[in-house]
Amino acid sequence: MLEKIKERKGIILVLLAVAIICAFMLRERYLALVLCFICINIIAVTGLDVLFGYTGQVSFGHAAFYAIGAYGSTLLTMNYGIPPAITVILGSLLSMIFGIIIAFPAAKLVKHFLSLLTIAFGQMVFMFVSVTDSLTNGYSGIINIPPISLFNYTFKSNQSKFFLLLVVVILVLIGKNRLIKSRIGRAFIAIRENPHAANGMGINVRYYKIMAFAISAFLTGLAGGLYAHLVHFISPDTFMVTQSQLFMTMLLFGGIGSLSGPVIGSSILVIITETMQSFVRYQMLIYAVFILVVLFYLPNGVVGIMDTIGAKVKNKLGKRAEENAKV
Amino acid sequence: MIVQLIIGALMIGCVYGLVGLGYGLIYKASGLMSLAQGDMLMFGAFISLTFYKYMGLPFFVSLFLTMVIMFCLGMFIQRVLVTKLLEKGAQTVYVILCTISISMILQNTAMFTWGSNVMQFPSLFKTDAINILGYKIVPENLMALGVAVVCMTSLHFFMTKSKFGTSMRAAAQDELAASALGINVPAAKGASWGIASMLAGGIGAVIGPIFGVYVSMGAMIGQKGFAGAVVGGYGNMYGAIIGGLFFGFVETFISAYVTSSYKDFISFAVLIAVMIFMPTGLFKEQVME
Repeated sequence: MLEKIKERKGIILVLLAVAIICAFMLRERYLALVLCFICINIIAVTGLDVLFGYTGQVSFGHAAFYAIGAYGSTLLTMNYGIPPAITVILGSLLSMIFGIIIAFPAAKLVKHFLSLLTIAFGQMVFMFVSVTDSLTNGYSGIINIPPISLFNYTFKSNQSKFFLLLVVVILVLIGKNRLIKSRIGRAFIAIRENPHAANGMGINVRYYKIMAFAISAFLTGLAGGLYAHLVHFISPDTFMVTQSQLFMTMLLFGGIGSLSGPVIGSSILVIITETMQSFVRYQMLIYAVFILVVLFYLPNGVVGIMDTIGAKVKNKLGKRAEENAKV
Repeated sequence: MIVQLIIGALMIGCVYGLVGLGYGLIYKASGLMSLAQGDMLMFGAFISLTFYKYMGLPFFVSLFLTMVIMFCLGMFIQRVLVTKLLEKGAQTVYVILCTISISMILQNTAMFTWGSNVMQFPSLFKTDAINILGYKIVPENLMALGVAVVCMTSLHFFMTKSKFGTSMRAAAQDELAASALGINVPAAKGASWGIASMLAGGIGAVIGPIFGVYVSMGAMIGQKGFAGAVVGGYGNMYGAIIGGLFFGFVETFISAYVTSSYKDFISFAVLIAVMIFMPTGLFKEQVME
């Protein structure tokens, strides 16, 4: 047991540092809200990572699933009085169903056309939600969405919401880890690297691609539902194409195909967004420059850079050990 | 009324067609996708507005200058950004992302330079509507249509009859063989991106008087142009024009006779249906792996 702790020294130190930072941030309402946003984006971007990082299917319309989860959960809770804890799950399931529907044509298309299909889908959902006044109240949005309550405790304060979201994030990350290390995860990676070779090895590419879409849609829809019950207000503005681009930016910045990539990407970008509130006009420009910087200098994201640095450090340590051994 | 509808549909269809043409040109020449054409259109509209309104140059001079500037911009993006990205071994998806960020930068630059309000062109013609065969037609519509048709025909002749155009088609077909024959393949690729931006900017300048000029005018048009290119067969120039006209007509007649708030929704639904059932488009281009 002690050996395991020694091995994972680095990660435990990082977690401790993060815990201390969180403890400081939680003392203030606004900072706790920022932490909640980070958690929600971690869940959503993890969903995108399952699709793009692990099966290589690009999606520029993921805000659609975010919207379906959010509106699905909201409408079920406000029109039928079902407790929010359940509607969040139902909203995610609805999002998953749409993911499966979209996956059927999407699994067949080459990357370029997949991007267009996902953009078109994202636009369709956005337009449907904006224009169908009778159902979704259109551009005015829906207000007074109730908070989540479990076992007679209502999560009303930002701090309590953070702990709930933290639990969900941990569950999601554990689930993703198990998924990646399982047969399914290996199939995903094989499909990402070379779909034809994967097919030749007997992997049912179509089936796994659809599964990836389903899982991805479920996770992002879950994030959407949690978002609705976090801020108690949703409107079509949140689900425009810019949100899809933001998810992509977070994923690429953090590093695709990794466990901590979405976490790092979401944290840094949410913090940047919040500190830039006074520069809202420059927001899109800064994201655009961010994307360019990531594309040109950080193709594997922050995680990639850390891996490169880690490899170099180990290299040097290995050389030193070798010299000591010779002497 | 139906004559106005047809002229309007033709006009917006030609706009979508030219934008889609640009997308197809880029894909055929370099195998990459660009999502920035819509914003090239917007940028061209703003530039020509600056020339026409603030510098007082005659309209066709400002149109010509706009097209030259947009050509240089397109060529610059290809030669500097895209080539560098590809040298680093980036996948094609990253190039798409690069064009998305270029479109965001264009939008923001336009917003900072010209503001986020809708800007109006001073009127080009002295009359509001001219009478042709008893129907009242807005002359700006006809001019847009005329410019679009001129662009398309001159592009066709350039590509088929001129030396550089033919070498561009050769480079698009097979890079290695073309460069073995002494064709300057990087210049051809850069020129194709430049021509795509030039067409988008030019048609943006021409529809500025009709719709007004504002920062978000390009986004929808870009996506519908893309949709038109897909419907016609992605990569095929003539297919893009036909696809654009198709969407122009679908949109105009649906918003006139059925519903105008869902018109974009229906256009995208048609696109998704086409991608599901007929992804190779009308002219049967390769789209699946």
